[in-house]
Amino acid sequence: MTTNSRAQITLNYALIIACSLIAIYPLVGVVLASLYPSGTSSSPSGFALPPTFAWHNYVAAWDQGKFAASFTTSIIVAAVMVPASVVLSVVAGYAFATMHFRGSKVIFYLFILGLIIPTEATIVPLFYDVRALHLLDTYWALILLEVSGELAFGVFWMRAAFLSAPPSLLEAARIDGASSWQTMRKVMVPFARPAILTLAVLTFADSWNEFFLALVFTVSHTTAPAGLASFSGRYTTNIPLVSAGAVIVAVPILIVFIIFQREFMRGMLTGAVKG
Amino acid sequence: MARVVYDGVVKRFGEVAALRDFSLDIPDGEFMVFVGPSGSGKTTALRLIAGLETVTSGEIRVGEQVVNRLAPRDRDIAMVFQDYALYPQMTVFQNLAFSLKMRKMPRQEIERHVQHAADMLDIGKLLQRKPRELSGGQRQRVALGRALVREPKVFLMDEPLSNLDAKLRVQTRTEIKHLQEEIATTTIYVTHDQVEAMTMGDRVAVMNDGVLEQVGDTRTVYEHPANVFVAGFIGSPAMSFATVGATMRGDQLELRQGALSLTVASTQLPADGVPAEVVVGVRPEHAHLWSEGEGLVGPVSGRAEYVEMLGRETLIGVLCGDQQRFSVLADADTPVRPGHEVRFGIDPGRLYLFDPLTEQALTVL
Amino acid sequence: MSELPAVVASRAVADGGRRRRERLPGEPRRIGYLYIAPAFLLFAAFNLVPLVQGINVSLYNWDGISPATWVGFANYGEFFTSPDIRSGYLHVLILMIFYSFLPIIIGLFLAAVMSRIRIRGLTFFRMLLFLPLVITDVVTAVAWIWIYDATGPLSTTLKAVGLGHFVPSAGWLGDFNTALPAVGVFGMWGQFGFCLILFLAGVMKIPATLYEAARVDGANAVREFFAVTLPGLRYELQVVLVLTVIGTLGTFDEIYVLTAGGPGTSTTVPAYLVWRRAFQTGQVGSAAALGIILMLIIFAVTYGINRLMERGAET
Repeated sequence: MTTNSRAQITLNYALIIACSLIAIYPLVGVVLASLYPSGTSSSPSGFALPPTFAWHNYVAAWDQGKFAASFTTSIIVAAVMVPASVVLSVVAGYAFATMHFRGSKVIFYLFILGLIIPTEATIVPLFYDVRALHLLDTYWALILLEVSGELAFGVFWMRAAFLSAPPSLLEAARIDGASSWQTMRKVMVPFARPAILTLAVLTFADSWNEFFLALVFTVSHTTAPAGLASFSGRYTTNIPLVSAGAVIVAVPILIVFIIFQREFMRGMLTGAVKG
Repeated sequence: MARVVYDGVVKRFGEVAALRDFSLDIPDGEFMVFVGPSGSGKTTALRLIAGLETVTSGEIRVGEQVVNRLAPRDRDIAMVFQDYALYPQMTVFQNLAFSLKMRKMPRQEIERHVQHAADMLDIGKLLQRKPRELSGGQRQRVALGRALVREPKVFLMDEPLSNLDAKLRVQTRTEIKHLQEEIATTTIYVTHDQVEAMTMGDRVAVMNDGVLEQVGDTRTVYEHPANVFVAGFIGSPAMSFATVGATMRGDQLELRQGALSLTVASTQLPADGVPAEVVVGVRPEHAHLWSEGEGLVGPVSGRAEYVEMLGRETLIGVLCGDQQRFSVLADADTPVRPGHEVRFGIDPGRLYLFDPLTEQALTVL
Repeated sequence: MSELPAVVASRAVADGGRRRRERLPGEPRRIGYLYIAPAFLLFAAFNLVPLVQGINVSLYNWDGISPATWVGFANYGEFFTSPDIRSGYLHVLILMIFYSFLPIIIGLFLAAVMSRIRIRGLTFFRMLLFLPLVITDVVTAVAWIWIYDATGPLSTTLKAVGLGHFVPSAGWLGDFNTALPAVGVFGMWGQFGFCLILFLAGVMKIPATLYEAARVDGANAVREFFAVTLPGLRYELQVVLVLTVIGTLGTFDEIYVLTAGGPGTSTTVPAYLVWRRAFQTGQVGSAAALGIILMLIIFAVTYGINRLMERGAET
């Protein structure tokens, strides 16, 4: 099984190419489908190029899917939520990693608990709480809920990142006269920059992709995925149009993924493998 | 510049006592070396001064001030870490300047101080580089520079040379020593390497298992070790020990164990005599082949177990009887080979006697 | 990807304080609290407090508008009596085959077959294989709506090879028999790339000497797999198992988009039931109870899998 024979190498490439094709086929297919003339009731086969490239489907989808509004919501929510979540996680993670105070262990375990609580367990009371706060159908509902949802992981992640720093680094900063805040800002944050970036990227992905919360808490100020879901529901028979909408929603996260591949991989693989 | 005093200091980590009743007075400007094996408490003692650990009981004073409760930043000390602990994302300049910035020193002054320290350590050209671009030796200098720049009352160094290769270590050793003489700041230096300790320290504090075994200048610690541990730890190759029976015969002391037999003129016996059993100690450099020396005490007979060519001389491991082992230093071209019969003698005044129970030094014969 | 935290949690608890537990000279006493306060307050307000509230609500019958009536544990009892709920969990069990077991087996098999030869451009392939998981699942679900359409590529391909009679007239998602497996295949497609990458990385870490020793002992390829590869992947296996099983239990987005639980109730899942009862059918108390039950099941499953895998590691 470990021979380096020509056959083995060819097999490997064949297999991984086949798997990759399977992985991207639906995505490529949906792009192709979006370029077929809108309104055709017979579906594109996904193997052939459309007769003409119906780029206007994208304009139509953008308008009829009201994506201007939902993109705005998604962007605003992410723009507030990601920095807030990351900053809070960094600060709290730093404290857990470097300070001793009574009950820190208990409080940390409560955060860990948050990792296991699924949204479904709290969604019902949350709805009524948010309504009572008059925050239904607002950006704030999504921002607050998404931030608090990410905090458990974020705090854990940053604590682990800070714990990996050599103790002497912290001691040197103490001796040099830095306060805990200064040490965090000038020594530990630069040290943990890759981890922070990874957290930011993962948090952005979670925010952009968030559907369930958007569905429950927003109607008119809804996010892109929710907008797509209702768009799809309204135009079920117009496959090219809906496909255009899907591609539109996919583009931002795709771009972020391509640019920050390394961070994504690091987050998903080490988070899973190293725990 | 200040005097450092440990007064009855005890440090416990949970149940474990890392430092027991440690008292030491280090005058201003002294280069004091804490030396001992790992677990001896030397690093703990250092870290207590730094303020990186809390004192369990006792007092530590820097200058005339009791610093037990003070944060490191208020103690006016600087430390060089074993792994250098340079801030990885900052340039060398920023590393050196960091503590001064924390003290809100004006920009001009910071530059002056940093430049001065950089010149002293010859790292001026490295100021814009980051630590990962530097060699081990260069990083070590930056670590030193970071401490220098502070102009503290006390320098603390935690095995700063242990990550360097042997040649660099020797070179840097002398440099650090000269540096310290130049700036005359009280320095506490921790190492497990007794050669380092002997070459660098004004005084040496030998520690073992949390206890201060002996403190004194290098000559004293070498020539008058207070107990078996110090005698065996200081000096390389290490002193040989043997437990023998001792009997007084007139004004001669007879030492005998199995096949080993030695008679010594007893000029220096302690007033209350000698216990029935003593531990004798001999440094290899004071044990010579009977054929190579004169006026030696002995002879002692045995068989050569091993012969190590050290270049300049040869180290012979001699087995006397079935248990007593001695190391003897001989000329480089000695004909002795493993298995040969060996007879050796000891320089007069170099036979150490220790109490077998307390391990304290009794006398030197 | 949002299931990642569950895995992290299941391994996190043991990681304790290797740092000293005493206060250092001059260190301000209470400052730690200041640092964690904002995060903890937010977290408590929107995660812990609602959890307690949820437990409270679950003990009532409530339609969201009129006053609630106390029913004690009746809502929880429904777990055993209501066919709705039972079929919901039955469906996720079936989905687990597609979301968890099959991708794992495929991933293991492929990783074993591809063995340990370095593939040039692995980063590129990795990117492609991760895409299904990274792209918003609403988007990928829409893509599969097209695939599963009665006139979509799956159907046209089958027709082209003469198997057209298999194609349901209402499309694969509209037929009672094919809807759930269709969702399953969607999930399998989503997960298999991740499994493959994880196992490939894990296989690379197995020392070559182990394989050589097995070869010398006369093991054939199959033997090698069970004796060296599989044990060597124990850790990755555990992680992937927890991730995918928990992920399946919480499935919602694709059900909503692909089938809305239908046709009929053939693709309902617990999370969907929670949503529907809370926001469509006015069974708020029951929804809350279902949410709590789901959480407990996730706890139990995570614990169970970890226990099982760790026990296996000791043999």
